[in-house]
Amino acid sequence: MPSKDKGHSAITSADQELVLSSLEPEQLTGLKKHFIPRRHMKGLEKFVMWSLRIYLLFMMTVVGYQVWIAAH
Amino acid sequence: MGAGTPSRLTSQAATQEDVVITHEDVDRAHDRVRVSAARAQRGALSKFRLLWLLVGPGILVMLGENDGPSMISYAATGARFGIGFFIPFVILTFCMAIVVQEMTMRLGSATHRGHAELIFVRFGPFWGWFSMIDLGIGNFLTLITEFIAIRAGLGFFGVPPWAAVGSALVFLCLAVMMHRYWTWERTLLAIAAFNLVFVLVALFTHPNWHSVGHALITWKPLPGGLSQDTLIIVLADIGATVTPWMLFFQQSATVDKGLTRKDIHLGRFDTAVGAALAAIAAVATIIATAPLFAHHMTAENFQGAEFAQALQPLIGRFGAALFALGIVEAGMVASVTISISSAYAFGEVARRPHSLNLPVTQGKAFYSVLFLCAATAGAIVLIPGLPLVYVVLLVNVVAVLAMPPALVFLFMLANDREVMGDLVSPRWANILATGVVVFLTLAGLLFGISVIAPNAFAFLSGK
Repeated sequence: MPSKDKGHSAITSADQELVLSSLEPEQLTGLKKHFIPRRHMKGLEKFVMWSLRIYLLFMMTVVGYQVWIAAH
Repeated sequence: MGAGTPSRLTSQAATQEDVVITHEDVDRAHDRVRVSAARAQRGALSKFRLLWLLVGPGILVMLGENDGPSMISYAATGARFGIGFFIPFVILTFCMAIVVQEMTMRLGSATHRGHAELIFVRFGPFWGWFSMIDLGIGNFLTLITEFIAIRAGLGFFGVPPWAAVGSALVFLCLAVMMHRYWTWERTLLAIAAFNLVFVLVALFTHPNWHSVGHALITWKPLPGGLSQDTLIIVLADIGATVTPWMLFFQQSATVDKGLTRKDIHLGRFDTAVGAALAAIAAVATIIATAPLFAHHMTAENFQGAEFAQALQPLIGRFGAALFALGIVEAGMVASVTISISSAYAFGEVARRPHSLNLPVTQGKAFYSVLFLCAATAGAIVLIPGLPLVYVVLLVNVVAVLAMPPALVFLFMLANDREVMGDLVSPRWANILATGVVVFLTLAGLLFGISVIAPNAFAFLSGK
């Protein structure tokens, strides 16, 4: 059964009914902490993610170099 | 794509019985009751009311991305290249933004979870932290540029930097202290509408509509051809339209607003309207500064709001003041949306309450992150001698470079049947999203080549 928000006493039973009738179960703040299964990346996905990570690091170095050139 | 089959997450959550009802839930429930009532009624007026109730995150994210550095990038584009290639190009970048942002809206409506939270729980903290570091750095740098824009815009009216930054922080406090998502969203939408002031400024310049039409059809001219300068403007204009904070913001705002699977259709409309309005403002800014084409003004003229000053002889004091106010508005709205984007992501990852429906007492961590980010960024802008120009230049480029990894996460989540159920991306959306990732990656690589080996780049471009 729904319980009251401990930090606030003004939530009435009418509020509770309104919430339960108008929000989807997953929209309730209290239910958002429930477990979502982890998905493990496959080979190609890992390859793409690591490639993009390296790309980002490389490009950040390029940007740093560009700023250094501009500053001098 | 249907809206009927629930995802595995929905069915799991539905089995839970012990629920703590919060004020955040009550506020959101009141909003949903109004939506349900409007949906139940027939007639054009009810449909319009339903539309009015559901639009918001899409328009806000698009007009929010028309931020200070973005408007300056468009102004620099108009001043550097005039009316030509960049007008249809900017429209193309907004089409890319629609493709990307539609996915975040769909993810938020289907899962009721923010983007940072989904990445963390689905792919684990290792990849989650990478994503958060990208977002954190990008958001903070962008936030600094928003304060630079506010400082520059108010500088046109003689407001000293400390007063400009202080007033922006006060505005931020007032904007988020409404403790109600709905009120905050409507207020910010009204302020963001001021972004269209650039249309008025463009009209003051009496543009050559024949040239505009010719540019839209032919994508020409491109003065100077393809050079490193052109590439930087290309990257800056892309970075002015698609950036990582937009992904996190729209998904979290969609969740905070309480959109559901039934609302996706109008969520798409919201996103498209936002993109159209933002594109109009962006193109108008290019047109407005096109008369400066002969003056060779660039982003380096940003610091002292010289764009407004340079336009003054052409459009008068009133028009120039409107331009400067537009820059201020762009910075103000974006400083709010970007701060909130950071606070949402922090709350989702740290599992702390994160909603604009929260009173300060219940959302201390959320509001603390929001204000701390903004205050630190504002303080940095006041450091004497800071090379603000480089920061502005850096931010839009960094935004483009950080997009491909962020987009791949989005792409995988939007195609994750366990998360999305039957709302996974259709083939056409995947083709478009892949095209956007490839385009952004190639644009970044081309920029890299132009920096590392400018001679090779000159050879490639036939010079």
